[in-house]
Amino acid sequence: MDDNKNKTSRMGYNIAKRIALVAAVFAAILSILMIANYIQTKAVDPLNSKAISQLMEQLQENPNDTALKEQIRALDLLARKAYFTHQWQLRTGSYLLFVFVLVLLLSLKYMSSLESKLPDLSESPSPDETTENRLLSRQYLIFGGAGLFVLAFVLGILSQSELKNIGIFRAEESAKAAGFPGINEIRDNWPAFRGPEGNAVAYNTDVPTEWDGRSGKNILWKVPIPHPGYNSPILWGKKIFLTGADRKTQVVYCIDAESGKILWQAEMNDIPGAPGGRPDVTEDTGYAAPTMTTDGQRVYAIFATGDLACFDFDGNRIWAKNIGKPDNHYGHSSSLITYQDLLLIQFDQNTGGYLIALRSSTGDLVYDKSRDVEISWASPIVVNTGSRTEIILNSNPFVVSYDPRTGQELWRVKCMQGEIAPSPAYADGMVYVVNDYARLAAIKLQDTPVVAWEYIDDLSEVSSPLATKNLVIMAASYGTVTCFNGKTGERYWLHDFDDGFYSSPILVGESVYLMDISGIMSVFKADKKFQLISRSELGENAMTIPAFKQNRIYIRGEKHLFCIGNELEQF
Amino acid sequence: MRQRTRLLKIIFVFFLLVVPSLDLSQVRERFPKPDFQTDYVRPNLITPATRSPILEYMDIFVLVAVLFLVTYSAHKQRSRRQIFLLMVFSLVYFGFYRKGCVCSVGAIQNVSYALFTSAYAIPFTVIAFFVLPLIFTLFYGRTFCAAVCPLGAIQDAVVLKPTKVPAWLANVLGVIPYIYLGLVLLFAATGAGFIICQYDPFIGFFRFGASFGMVIFGLSMLLLGTVVARPYCRFLCPYGVLLSWMSRLSKWHVKITPTECNNCRLCEESCPFGAIKKPSETVHLENRQAEIKRLAVLFVLLPVVLIGTGWIGSRLNIPLSRQHFTVSLAEEILLENSGKRTEMTDATTAFRAAGKPTEELFEEARIIQDKFKVGGWIVGGFIGLIIWIKLINAFIRRKQPEYYIDTGMCLSCARCFSYCPYEQVRLGIITPEEADKLGTRKVKIKQFRA
Amino acid sequence: MNRRNFIRTGFQAFAGLTIGGIAGLLFSRSSSEEMVWQLDPNLCVQCEKCSVNCVLPNSAVKCVHSYSMCGYCDLCSGYLQPGAKARDTGAESQLCPSGAIKRTFIEDPYFQYTIDEDLCIGCGKCVKGCDSFGNGSLYLQVRHDRCLNCNQCSIARLCPSRAWKRVPASQPYILRGDESKRYLES
Repeated sequence: MDDNKNKTSRMGYNIAKRIALVAAVFAAILSILMIANYIQTKAVDPLNSKAISQLMEQLQENPNDTALKEQIRALDLLARKAYFTHQWQLRTGSYLLFVFVLVLLLSLKYMSSLESKLPDLSESPSPDETTENRLLSRQYLIFGGAGLFVLAFVLGILSQSELKNIGIFRAEESAKAAGFPGINEIRDNWPAFRGPEGNAVAYNTDVPTEWDGRSGKNILWKVPIPHPGYNSPILWGKKIFLTGADRKTQVVYCIDAESGKILWQAEMNDIPGAPGGRPDVTEDTGYAAPTMTTDGQRVYAIFATGDLACFDFDGNRIWAKNIGKPDNHYGHSSSLITYQDLLLIQFDQNTGGYLIALRSSTGDLVYDKSRDVEISWASPIVVNTGSRTEIILNSNPFVVSYDPRTGQELWRVKCMQGEIAPSPAYADGMVYVVNDYARLAAIKLQDTPVVAWEYIDDLSEVSSPLATKNLVIMAASYGTVTCFNGKTGERYWLHDFDDGFYSSPILVGESVYLMDISGIMSVFKADKKFQLISRSELGENAMTIPAFKQNRIYIRGEKHLFCIGNELEQF
Repeated sequence: MRQRTRLLKIIFVFFLLVVPSLDLSQVRERFPKPDFQTDYVRPNLITPATRSPILEYMDIFVLVAVLFLVTYSAHKQRSRRQIFLLMVFSLVYFGFYRKGCVCSVGAIQNVSYALFTSAYAIPFTVIAFFVLPLIFTLFYGRTFCAAVCPLGAIQDAVVLKPTKVPAWLANVLGVIPYIYLGLVLLFAATGAGFIICQYDPFIGFFRFGASFGMVIFGLSMLLLGTVVARPYCRFLCPYGVLLSWMSRLSKWHVKITPTECNNCRLCEESCPFGAIKKPSETVHLENRQAEIKRLAVLFVLLPVVLIGTGWIGSRLNIPLSRQHFTVSLAEEILLENSGKRTEMTDATTAFRAAGKPTEELFEEARIIQDKFKVGGWIVGGFIGLIIWIKLINAFIRRKQPEYYIDTGMCLSCARCFSYCPYEQVRLGIITPEEADKLGTRKVKIKQFRA
Repeated sequence: MNRRNFIRTGFQAFAGLTIGGIAGLLFSRSSSEEMVWQLDPNLCVQCEKCSVNCVLPNSAVKCVHSYSMCGYCDLCSGYLQPGAKARDTGAESQLCPSGAIKRTFIEDPYFQYTIDEDLCIGCGKCVKGCDSFGNGSLYLQVRHDRCLNCNQCSIARLCPSRAWKRVPASQPYILRGDESKRYLES
């Protein structure tokens, strides 16, 4: 009986062996075929055939060559067929191979199961834990481990990452900032909201005091601006820049300061990273409330969408980005300002504020300082306080000053409340901030800045205060203008005008220019006593800040940009 | 209508000229949606659903069921045949039907990623696949490896002529899974990627399709697997590390003999994985004192080794962190910015088009590099510790008079059971008297085919 | 109970508690939903890698068409070669390398474009054309009837624009146009 069993098992073994052999041969042949197939399709990618693209080029030259067309069609069909056939072959091949390998495995398993795995019991067992094994274990653990870690060490030493050296690049780049215009050049131009440094003072000017937009007196030119915007014109050299926008379009205009001709205009509707859907804004803010700025090399524009772009003076876009859709129920309106090679943005929203500094040449982020303040619509000023340059931001409840280079906070004073639109003013060691239903606060800069005095009547709602060496002047949206002693807070005078003010007073020489909502410019002496010099009509409503340069004033009305100068000097 | 097409053509040419400078990811309505005059209805965009959640839960159910059955077969039935059939089922279900995803081995990465990335919500099924085998192993040994894991099953299927790997070699190679585990955890925790999946040798077979490198690696693993049983499980699998820890602590582990061992030696060669340890040699060492001294030195050096290996690990942060997309992108951008490379890659082009500030990217990359530094300390120290423990183990001498199972290595595959004469008694194949005689090694055993 | 057993039990308890702790922590962060892979068409740069990096021989990424956004242009920049001289279905005019887009006349001058998914290889050539010059109604999506949902998607790993992400299985598509709304409703 045992013999019989042996016989059957030997027979089974032999059959299994033959099956295994056949399966192995088939599997091998199939493998070779599949490898060949693989290499072939790797060598010629049927879907990106060079032959077809060559023919296509030929077709471009002779578009009416029907024979060529037919050739392309035939070749294309062939290529597609080849591709899908190849896929079918590969799939079918692998299924077949799987079956063969399975058969091979089963027969081999059967064969191996017939073989005895019993130990040779005639010899005494050789234990696993022999001394020799232990010694080898130790040896190879030490060598292997040491080898591994030495290798790792060498690899670690050899690999260098440039990322660590970025700090060095940064220092180099800031050295380049030396090429930016100095304060005198800045003061000869009108580079930002409320002029040089954002401080509402016009330097080196000789402008007329009277004009009339209706009769055209002293109006050198006026041009319509196609898209609306409450932003104010800025000026560098002979070029004026401003923006206009509606819900669909955002445009930057460059206007020749001599002729009023639009030199170029650039639409900005394709900003990388811009979120889908424009934010909702109120009509009195609009999509183009923030004023542009320039550093004398490039101009920068931002819109209520958070779209930000940089152009050179010829209208070439250098960079553009979206800094995030502002969460702002009226519409983002804080204006831009630059400091050396940095573009600074006061970005206060309902969901937390930031002071953002971008590299003005590339748009790369230098820092974004998080601000624990409420939303605001004010614009920053960058002033040199004698010992250092500070960027001062008016916001609720803190007025905060930062180092513009690093974004490090220098000081803060808690004195504001409400929805803040007026920007700060600075003169002679004093910072003046105001908001309606809050106060006019004069902050004396010292080791720990404090509120030196405050005043709580006739407060300004939108218009920013003007600070001169001795005086502070603010204009309320219901028509009162108040003048104080800047140091003591003593009220010198209060004057009631007919109309309210959204524009801000600008110091031009010894006079203050202040335009009301209806576009009437009042010029009065910057003095302890109220002395009206003149009142001139623009002929249309205006809420922007005029730009002053040499003997010209540029005013953006509701629809037009006006250039005002002395007509007689023209000839 | 002619005019309209001409107009479209003009617009088309205009866009050809102008648009390439614009960002392409913006979606705009360049052409108005048509008002159809005919009663044409716009077709619906068909969105095929994902695999139904019920099926996902069925995966968990199958996992639990198979774990249960395998454990029952190994512990109560003690049947290799049942385990083999269950293994084939797992291979078909988890391997060929579920295409190997998600598997418990890969789930380590999801767990590590979830623990360090709060934004990642780890699916319930993945947690189950990670935790359940560990719990089963803590109670019953590595029954999961025996017949549930598809990666183990496909290797088990090709075991033909297993040779014995020398104990010292197996011991030294046993370090590799720890290294692999360390790297896996590091890469997953930092979000650099799931390297188990990336270098899975067998998943290509389950899917009937893989990259060339994957096929080559998988085939060589399987070919090696014919002579070295389950090479991936023993010398690579990172999950096996965790399972072997659990298995060492397991409350009820399978035993070779149903009753008592009489050291008959018959099972000696039956384990293809080298998990059956023979009684240790009782040679007396001459230089016992020196050995003890060396052992003491090893213990004293342990902290130094940990700090050293940890430090080396932390130095590897730069090459390792390059596996992370953000870091490699940042380095590419930096190369391009510095003018050292003029050709842009797809990734840098995409990054630049998105308009994110490069400084931000560099900052992110530096943060990731720092994470790799911390992780490098831990992983380096961990690998150093493992090697040192293995070294210390090679010095400690334990008395081992009997055959025993290395529970860390044993996969509870039940191959050895039928070699035991008392098992054959239990199954009624031989009489207890015959079994007792086997102690004198004179009766041939009726061997089971397994 | 001897000391050895005591220590062993201690370790067992420790191991059990560790697993339990990790499991608990994971459950607190878990989602009962499966996560699946999807690509965000708004981040996609049409690098054509989706067609080759998928583990499937025929990629699970296919071009989909939001008909609600389509202009039904005669001169379709997703269908026709950039320099195509004729607006017809000839191979020399077609952009799609596998001829997977079907062009059907609806009414003058409108044409409907339909994707044959069995032929589509997910290269995104048409997507690039439509995105650049058209309405962007053609875009790539993972088709979940084909996707194996690998734990680590090999396309995602190599995507140059990081457009790939894990999304909950109940909302497995990132669609455009009215299709996205309809999809959210259902």
